[in-house]
Amino acid sequence: MSLKNGITNFLDSRYDMETAGGFLKKQLGKRLPPHTGWLHVFGSLSLFLFISQTITGILLLMYYRPTPDEAHKSIQFITAEVHFGWLYRQVHAWGASLMILMVVLHMIRTYFCGAYKKPRELTWVTGVFIFIVTITFGFTGYLLPWNQISFWATTVGTESANKVPYIGGWLRYFIRGGDVVTGETLSRFFVVHVIILPWLLTGLLVVHLFLMRATNLATLEPVDEEKPLEPKYGIPFFPVHVCKESVVVMLMIAVLVTLAVVSPWEIGEPANPLLTPEHIKPEWYFLPSYQLLKYFEGPYGAFMGIIACSVPFALLLFWPFLDRSKYRHPRQRPVAVSVGLIGLVGALILGTLGHFSETNQTFFGQRYHIDHYGRPHRLEGGVQSETVPGADSAHAPSGDAKPSH
Amino acid sequence: MSREDAPKSFNRRGFLEWIIAACSAITAAAMVVPGLLYLWPAAKGGKAEDVEVKGGENLKPGEHSTVQVRGKAVIVRRDPGGLAAYSAVCTHLGCLVKWDAGKEQFLCPCHAAVFNARGQVVSGPAPAPLPEYKVKDVGGKVYVST
Ligand code: HEM
Ligand code: FES
Repeated sequence: MSLKNGITNFLDSRYDMETAGGFLKKQLGKRLPPHTGWLHVFGSLSLFLFISQTITGILLLMYYRPTPDEAHKSIQFITAEVHFGWLYRQVHAWGASLMILMVVLHMIRTYFCGAYKKPRELTWVTGVFIFIVTITFGFTGYLLPWNQISFWATTVGTESANKVPYIGGWLRYFIRGGDVVTGETLSRFFVVHVIILPWLLTGLLVVHLFLMRATNLATLEPVDEEKPLEPKYGIPFFPVHVCKESVVVMLMIAVLVTLAVVSPWEIGEPANPLLTPEHIKPEWYFLPSYQLLKYFEGPYGAFMGIIACSVPFALLLFWPFLDRSKYRHPRQRPVAVSVGLIGLVGALILGTLGHFSETNQTFFGQRYHIDHYGRPHRLEGGVQSETVPGADSAHAPSGDAKPSH
Repeated sequence: MSREDAPKSFNRRGFLEWIIAACSAITAAAMVVPGLLYLWPAAKGGKAEDVEVKGGENLKPGEHSTVQVRGKAVIVRRDPGGLAAYSAVCTHLGCLVKWDAGKEQFLCPCHAAVFNARGQVVSGPAPAPLPEYKVKDVGGKVYVST
């Protein structure tokens, strides 16, 4: 008896292997709608990046120490001494940004294809929670290197919690584990980053993928008029779609390693709670909210700002129940497509203003100071001047303002 | 007649099931409450008292120093008229302001809030003045009250 037969016999005599095999075969051979193509790989890429973050994260954990005294040093040790430590740190740091980007692209694809409509509303809702969890991963992970930028970006970010009416002070105290960002905050963020969020995301993904399989991918036909897929028209999940996924995963690995080599993340100066550096900005995925908050000032401003930043998320969450039209094809959904485009363009504009705010830039040979709100002010003769004409002196930068990257 | 159909035993069973469900709910609640309280940050540092500013005795007129008083950053300066202490935490989003001795203003590096020598907002997005701390000089040593 060969080894293979031995194992088969062992399993067959104990479990219902026929049902298990049938299930596997059905899942692999599943037919996907005929328009399933390269735009349908962003979900798989997000999943791949989550697996990559888990593996590189676990590797980083072997040497990382979550205390104010040791965090920064341990990351220096990882990059300088540990074999391939630099690679795993860079792939984790770049993977974070790319994972968020892939989740966003995946949402854009499903939004414009109307895939969130009946019967897939809950698949979309779990997706919005996955998006929020992914962003929270980024926010909590960012503090872990305990450098000046991460310390102060976290100080400013958690301070926004204070602007929530009535409970803001408690909320900030709870998130920080005290009045200010300290080692208590680092502990909290660490536990959330490496234990709570990974399991939460795993659970959400299981539900999301189960729902995706249970309802199959959406076609472009209107709600309640989707015809069951005839086997010869559908695209077999295996091998056709799996091959596409393998190609993009290999490309993604190439992108990750290339970015790690040509554009490494810096370790930065260790955190100093007594000195705020110039030009602290959040990561790119927070720039739209960061910039939006700036336009809300005055007594009720902060509160209105929090509302303005939450409305897009609430809209996303409830969108399948707000958009009642039964069409899926983008050409038949002028309202939903316009709302989506306005949201996207708005986020891009705010993000760009946030990126350039409080820096000096040269456009067509003329130096400009871009103020807090993103308005440009001409600088005379390209020479750095103490007070900026047109702006009140408060907006004058001290020293030469460099873009944050 | 099976046990399930018997009205009498059904009532007794139903009652027992109800009791067990209620007890399970209470047990679950009793386990969750201490867990939630555990997460609430334990206060550190004890009662309010005077904290000595390290190096305060070396502070000459016109000089200032940023120090940590019970974890919070405070700027202590010696003006011609005496000592002054203000919270260094910008009331906008929590960056630390710097004292500009030339302009006699506090400047915030984050979104350019400006406060005057008494902590009042001059310009920028800060919604409130910088809180003032009581500060005193006892035999050359400088103390800040929290
Ligand atoms: C799932 C398991 C994960 C584990 C165990 C983990 C663990 C870690 C550890 C130990 C660090 C500190 C080392 C360092 O800063 O380089 C870190 C940093 C970080 N993590 Fe994760 N992580 C995980 C997933 C994620 C995900 C899904 C994201 C984002 C989508 C993410 C984003 C970040 C970021 C932005 C940093 C800071 C990177 C840097 O500046 O070096 N992590 N993570
Ligand atoms: S934190 Fe000081 S101006 Fe925003």
